[in-house]
Amino acid sequence: MRHNAVDEWSRGSSALHRRAPASKLIAAAVFLVVVATAHHHLPLLACGWLGLLLWVTLAARLPLGGILSRGAVVLPFSAVFALLSWMEGAPGIAVALILKSYLSALAVLLLVATTPLPELVRSLEAARVPRFLLTVVQFLYRYIFVVVEEAAHMRTAAAARGGLTFRAAADALAVLFARSFARAEAIHRAMIARGFDGHFRPLARRRFAPPDAVFLVLASALPLLVRTVGEVLL
Amino acid sequence: MHIPDGFLSTPVWATLDALALPATGFAARAAQRGFDESKAPLLGVMGAFIFAAQMINFPVGMGTSGHLVGGALLACTLGPAPASVVMTAILAIQAFVFQDGGVLALGPNVLNMAVAGVLAGYLPYHLWGGGRFRRAAIFAGGVLSVLASAVLALSELLLSGVRMPPSVLAVSLGLFLVSALLEGAITMAVVSALERIQPGFVRQPASAPALLLGGLGLFAVLLAAGGVVFASTAPDGIDSLAIRSGIAKPLAAYGSGASVAGVVLIFLLLLAGGRMMRRRSA
Repeated sequence: MRHNAVDEWSRGSSALHRRAPASKLIAAAVFLVVVATAHHHLPLLACGWLGLLLWVTLAARLPLGGILSRGAVVLPFSAVFALLSWMEGAPGIAVALILKSYLSALAVLLLVATTPLPELVRSLEAARVPRFLLTVVQFLYRYIFVVVEEAAHMRTAAAARGGLTFRAAADALAVLFARSFARAEAIHRAMIARGFDGHFRPLARRRFAPPDAVFLVLASALPLLVRTVGEVLL
Repeated sequence: MHIPDGFLSTPVWATLDALALPATGFAARAAQRGFDESKAPLLGVMGAFIFAAQMINFPVGMGTSGHLVGGALLACTLGPAPASVVMTAILAIQAFVFQDGGVLALGPNVLNMAVAGVLAGYLPYHLWGGGRFRRAAIFAGGVLSVLASAVLALSELLLSGVRMPPSVLAVSLGLFLVSALLEGAITMAVVSALERIQPGFVRQPASAPALLLGGLGLFAVLLAAGGVVFASTAPDGIDSLAIRSGIAKPLAAYGSGASVAGVVLIFLLLLAGGRMMRRRSA
């Protein structure tokens, strides 16, 4: 079964992996807002922010190439809109679109690459995101690769028979739907048999320790500092 | 179309995030009450199905193919509130884990696809799904769902100052229409295939007059969003109108007026949508 590289990265043991999820979540949110609300001298500020993100990547002992290329999945989309803005005579907007979208994607990627999803979900639950939604999110993530693999088998089988017509593709999707539904009911019964009452109980609570507070203050202050210094100097 | 971070201006994403929070809360509560909490695995696996469904390509001729988006299909099979929760969960996973769509832009994306897309996809089915025009209603649901999401996303981008040549804008509207028709056809074909496999899957529309209120709000917002997009395809017309009617700075006046109107109307949609979901669950 195919797994997401992020899953593997998030199980590291660096100092950053050990910080409380809430501190990383808040730091990432601060970074996103600081980047989103900046308007002047963007290329220069972006260098500073990129430096911070690279530092975090190295400190977390994550593969630099892997992080940079994975964050780049936003670039094709951004490039199209940047090109359109450029054609309309707004090169400033074009540059901002590319820089902001790439930096933001990197920041979110670093958050999930240093925090396992269940822990992230728990801190979102503490932030009063509806628990039902978060439980759905966890099941969704657990079964994506299972159902995707089933779809891939169906696609391979269809290709071996000479491809799908529109009608056959609809039938295939209906079968996939029915199978997913049956699988979901089986999972549901199995979980009820094991005493599942609608939410997960963590075995260990993660406490917010002094190092987490230090990290939170530093990680929130540095992006802001980059921006302030950049705007004052220029 | 998932909007990444960095595309929306601060007033736009902040407002829409603030609106998406209560909407998501209402949808989660309504789905939970109608479904009982322990059914979360079902919604999760159906979300995984929507992910996987994108791997099955529907040939549409000339070597091109499309795939299911899913808002309308989920709404017809699970009901509007659970469908909205599933779509929200998908968007959250895509934003956080797959870098597909932004995190600050999650609120806007949720409103476009999980609230407006699902509502627009369910409304025709709700109104005519039980009668003679059942198939047409399902088709219309798929079309409206994609069209509503796309027009909202486009208008949010334009309000945020992303520039597009009018000709490109017109072409992309055409492409949206084509993919909306495709979604309608796919949704209709999958629902009829499902009914052949096992008739119980597709729920009969329940009577909920509050949905009409939600639909009305949605209609108003789409009209405003469509107005923003249309105005951007024909800026010359607006300019000359403004100059003739004696407004000194036509573009600036138009820009701020349109953004305020858009934000107010989106607020109205949310109020209506939230009230609808609360009534459904009561």
